[in-house]
Amino acid sequence: MRALQGLRGPRAPSLPLLLLCFLAAVRRSLEDGLSTAAPFTSLPVQEEMMTEYSNLSLESHNLSVTAAPITSLPVKEEMMTKAAPITSLPVQEEMRTKAVPIISLPVQEEMTTKYSNLSLESHSISMTVERPNMPVEKNITLERPSNVELTCQFTPSGNLNSVNVTWKKGDKLLEDNYLVNTTGSILYTQYRVAIINSKQMGSYSCFFGEKKQQRGTFNLKVPEINGKNKPLITYVGDTVVLICKCQDCLPLNWTWYSGNGSVQVPIGIPVNDKYVISGKHANETKLKITQLSEDDQGTYWCHAIFELGESEGHVELVVLSYLVPLKAFCAIAAEVVLLVAIILLFEMYTQKKKKPSDDGKEIEQGEQLKLDDSNGIENSGPRHRKNESVGQ
Amino acid sequence: MTTPKPTGPPDGGWGWVVAAAGFAVNGLSYGVLRSLGLAFPDFAEYFDRNAQETAWVSALALAVQQAASPVGSALSTRWGARPVVMVGGILTSLGFVFSAFAHSLLHLYLGLGVLAGSGWALVFAPALGTVSRYFSRRRVLAVGLALTGNGASSLLLAPALQLLLDNFGWRGSLLLLGAVTLHLTPCGALLRPLALPGDPLALPRSPLAALGLGLFRHRAFLVLTLGTALVGVGYFIPYVHLAPHALDRGLGGYGAVLVVAAAAVGDIGARLLCGWLADQGWVPLPRLLTVFGALTGLGLLAVGLVPVVGNEDSWGGPLLAAAGVYGLSAGSYAPLIFCVLPELVGIGNVVQATGLVMMLLSLGGLLGPPLSGFLRDETGDFTASFLTCGSFVLSGSFVYLGLPKALPSCRPASRPGTPPPEMGELLPVPQIALLSPGDPHSTLDTTC
Repeated sequence: MRALQGLRGPRAPSLPLLLLCFLAAVRRSLEDGLSTAAPFTSLPVQEEMMTEYSNLSLESHNLSVTAAPITSLPVKEEMMTKAAPITSLPVQEEMRTKAVPIISLPVQEEMTTKYSNLSLESHSISMTVERPNMPVEKNITLERPSNVELTCQFTPSGNLNSVNVTWKKGDKLLEDNYLVNTTGSILYTQYRVAIINSKQMGSYSCFFGEKKQQRGTFNLKVPEINGKNKPLITYVGDTVVLICKCQDCLPLNWTWYSGNGSVQVPIGIPVNDKYVISGKHANETKLKITQLSEDDQGTYWCHAIFELGESEGHVELVVLSYLVPLKAFCAIAAEVVLLVAIILLFEMYTQKKKKPSDDGKEIEQGEQLKLDDSNGIENSGPRHRKNESVGQ
Repeated sequence: MTTPKPTGPPDGGWGWVVAAAGFAVNGLSYGVLRSLGLAFPDFAEYFDRNAQETAWVSALALAVQQAASPVGSALSTRWGARPVVMVGGILTSLGFVFSAFAHSLLHLYLGLGVLAGSGWALVFAPALGTVSRYFSRRRVLAVGLALTGNGASSLLLAPALQLLLDNFGWRGSLLLLGAVTLHLTPCGALLRPLALPGDPLALPRSPLAALGLGLFRHRAFLVLTLGTALVGVGYFIPYVHLAPHALDRGLGGYGAVLVVAAAAVGDIGARLLCGWLADQGWVPLPRLLTVFGALTGLGLLAVGLVPVVGNEDSWGGPLLAAAGVYGLSAGSYAPLIFCVLPELVGIGNVVQATGLVMMLLSLGGLLGPPLSGFLRDETGDFTASFLTCGSFVLSGSFVYLGLPKALPSCRPASRPGTPPPEMGELLPVPQIALLSPGDPHSTLDTTC
């Protein structure tokens, strides 16, 4: 999405009118010439920049903040969209010469022309008066040099013209490279910049000074690296693989450091067998550590190097000795042996209790038999029956 | 010295200790197996393999445990349950200790899958068979109680295992799990041998006879095994696919957890409730088995047919209800499949029958989840999977109608397959459920 999305609608119908306006303006600008471009003292620099950075991707970011009434903004947008294709360079030149009321137009066109083969990222923030003090922020992840379009959209409660629009990078006030426009009651401002090195990354803010200053911020950052949140537990003599990865990024290079406190020591500088850095895909890196010892414990940092800066993740490694779980294991095993012994001994004890009573019964039966026999001998008559009864 | 005549099952006393031992055995086998999945991400990361290959560890352990169950029952028929279970405990523990020092996924397959699985095979059927032998009137309740072990164990072990993993890594956790599973041995020590009237007088002459293959000559047992095999195909699918199905239907992570919990709670509660209910003897056990088998099948169909939930934060009412129904019926089915065995094959053959039923369930268990996964991949969601497994369970339940007493019209006199010496256990009013050595989730095998 190269053009300002929010402004697409209103722009289209007015295109023929805008072209007429341009033609009119061109004639005027030819007379004014450089005077219209005067406020942009850095224009030549911008052009230079743009030619140099024409191979960069273009990124547009919009913060929708209602902007001051600059009626030619739609025109600008048209031009910007037209400026996107590389082949329209001659058109660009032509448009540049037309002194358009939007003084930053030539600059914008220059930038668009030069960076047109770069990817364009557009981001937008919308702010309203109803939520005055809420800071509106947008995080933008950039990996490689790009053209960036940041658009703020603001709806003021009062008069659009009374709103003062400024852009800042961090605390430094930005003087050029931005457009201000209005559509209806919405004020738009757009800042374009070619991000080519890490110094240009950071926070870009648009300010709308009404009664209270409204602020929208774009945070330009390199992609985040994910290491591991929980510590990795390993044992002495074991091998471990530490992994760092990022979502959809292609870093130029990965490096690993081991951290002892705040000092980070690079790993793998004297190349040895202990540390092996590898990675199947560009978006991940693996550090394999063999022959672990307790000294290897600590935090390991992985750095991903991008053209636009560095990003890091961390993995914590804990190295335990086998004795730690082994002690617990032996304790539990001893308890198990004890349990088994108790159970078997208890059973033997209860069996023994039963046995004496059994023997006692047998003795009684034997005595009973003897008595019966003696009775039988004494009494020969009913012996038969008695024997029978005994037999039963 | 007069040898004491074997009396009937004590139905209490030491029997409750044995039931508690059965509870612990169930928890230390299936409970540990279920919770093992928590360590899989660590395995996958360390050995640099994907989730499917790591999941094979528990699939292999389950397969070995169930398929080798007849071996466990055969050994315990020869030497008694106690020594076999004690050895099984040591074997399982060794498997875990061995796998703690693994340097490849193959070592895990061997240690956890084969060794621990074999140990569990030696442990489960003999222990559950012994519980069955100690009870007659309260058999289903006792067995149901023993079978709640794995649910309770998963509840305890899951957070405990996570704690172990966070503090000791997976190696230390496996080592300590080895110590935990070593407690199977004291459980085995508690399984005092019991002489019952129905015991075969002579020891089996050959290993094959020990396996109890002769049991297949009983028509009722054949019917039971056929029905169980069919039910087994569908029975285990929710264990694997209920949570993904809930997520597929649009529930968030916690919604899916709630669904699984509903099924689990229903399962555990039903085992006890059905145990008590079945022991009252109001309904013949085979009939109960058929009924609950059918209900399980219907519950699975309902789970499959539940509509997509629109809002991710919703409770997922219909799915929750269907999962609850499934859980309740599956939980009721579990003790019944074991308890219907004494009726069918006699108390003396219960342990062997248990082993055989477990083996049959394992066949279904091996077939079911992959089939379900295949259907999911082909059709895009789990509807077909649950419909298929529901229909398998239903067809198994229909087969159970062939069991004696499943249909009301069956004459009470016809009780095929129950040898006369079992009379002591086959009390006319309470249907003595034969212990199915099958898994705790045993499908309901109720036939007339």
